[in-house]
Amino acid sequence: MSIGALIGLFLAGYSLFTARGASTLSVPAEDVAMVNQQAISRSDYLILLQTLYGVDLSHATREQRQKVLNDMIREELFVQRGKELDLASSDPEVRSALVNAVELEISENAITAQPNEATLRDYYATHQDRYVSEGVMNVRDWVFPAGGPGDIAANREALKSAAMLPETLARLHARESGKTQGDEFYFAAKIHLGDQLFASARDLSDGAVSAPIQQSDGVHVLYMLTNKRPVPFDFAKARPQVLNDYRNHAIDQLKAGDESFLRKRAIIHIADDLR
Amino acid sequence: MRFALIFILAVLIGAAVFANAGYVEGKLLRADPDTVPADPALRRFAVSRGQPAFVAHCAGCHGVSGAGDPVQGVPNLTDRDWLYGTGRVADIEQIVEYGIRSRNSRAWSLAIMPAYARPHPNPADQNIRPLSPSEISDLIEFLFRQQGRAADAAAASRGAALYSGDAGCYDCHSLDAKGDSAIGAPNLADAITLYGDGSRDALYQSIAYGRQGVCPAWIKKLGAPDIREIAVYVYSMSHPGEMSNAD
Repeated sequence: MSIGALIGLFLAGYSLFTARGASTLSVPAEDVAMVNQQAISRSDYLILLQTLYGVDLSHATREQRQKVLNDMIREELFVQRGKELDLASSDPEVRSALVNAVELEISENAITAQPNEATLRDYYATHQDRYVSEGVMNVRDWVFPAGGPGDIAANREALKSAAMLPETLARLHARESGKTQGDEFYFAAKIHLGDQLFASARDLSDGAVSAPIQQSDGVHVLYMLTNKRPVPFDFAKARPQVLNDYRNHAIDQLKAGDESFLRKRAIIHIADDLR
Repeated sequence: MRFALIFILAVLIGAAVFANAGYVEGKLLRADPDTVPADPALRRFAVSRGQPAFVAHCAGCHGVSGAGDPVQGVPNLTDRDWLYGTGRVADIEQIVEYGIRSRNSRAWSLAIMPAYARPHPNPADQNIRPLSPSEISDLIEFLFRQQGRAADAAAASRGAALYSGDAGCYDCHSLDAKGDSAIGAPNLADAITLYGDGSRDALYQSIAYGRQGVCPAWIKKLGAPDIREIAVYVYSMSHPGEMSNAD
């Protein structure tokens, strides 16, 4: 009994008067080392061995194994020293890395939680406007001198044939604006035509000719060859994107929740002049 | 007295079984992961424990059989076509541990498939420009030609120029379209498709609207033994002959 107590006292004294502290002597099977009771993962060791030397454990030389292990121990020692020095309170890079790491941790948790099909279908149903194809149009844009082509209704067939015959276009004293070329996605057509012309084009059906549209360079008339409007994707087609969007939404919610929790439990005093 | 003896014996047997499982588990964890399939005792141990862990954590997406789901873009784990890495146990373990685009800083997340029918195909890379509908069609014909399927020759030639030029597809999928498993870029020249049925419509969907599948990181949810056991079990799915022959 007394021997046990003496051993206990000796160990406590040793721990008290040395910087090393008490520690377990065994290294868990999933780790390759313990540095001040902090584990260095075997899996990380294997990944680093592969990354640095392109070899697995059984093909690594003794020097390679030792080098990787030493590098990892060195890193752990410096990380621990960094914590002792409280670098996060002063070094902006450490602060930024910590903020990113905490955000990633929150995101990771959201991603690990797999939503069920009913949840995804609900999300799809409430955000259906996101899951549509991009519209495609093939539209011709003619520019007429001031006054326009006269009676559009009367010239409709002539205008349509102008799509094929440049001489017809010349006879009507018009020119192609050159803003569009073949099939274009809606967003591209909008950039090329500009907001006003695109708004008019979007509503045209296949084969339709627009009303004259006055612009600074003349009077524009649009002839729609084909207009494939955006089509909603069914759930099966949209599912991969729905899952990504749902996860991103969950991540944003979790981040906001965590921030709210941290603010609630924190004691924050703000300077009078900034209140 | 007899009851006490039986009880003590049962406890001793239980302790022996527990100690043996702990011993084998330690051996499994200390082993080079790539050597485990060749060790019958370790392999049996890992597979028997990895199977229920797989069902509990991975089957939700990959299915109990591991066959995946092309509708959701979930890879088939029973073939030997590896999207990430080369199918070694160590590669599989790394994916189970850190995931793919899982937001873990060690995850495999170098590349995404841009959405070429959107104004900004890849928000992280402003150098990638959108494609027109006809350019996407040309790319599809090129991919059909690469797969040895009937394709429009002129469109395929235009698609080839786009593939290795302006569209930048070669940057991830490599010049021969055979992909790059170091970044998870699928082989586009074989008959295995990750998303859809390989039809023109399915290819259009991928090129036009992009892809970026996710595999969660399990490092903070599962212990090292579970992760190693799942990795060995997943390996066993694609190597059934090898696993049974070694017994």
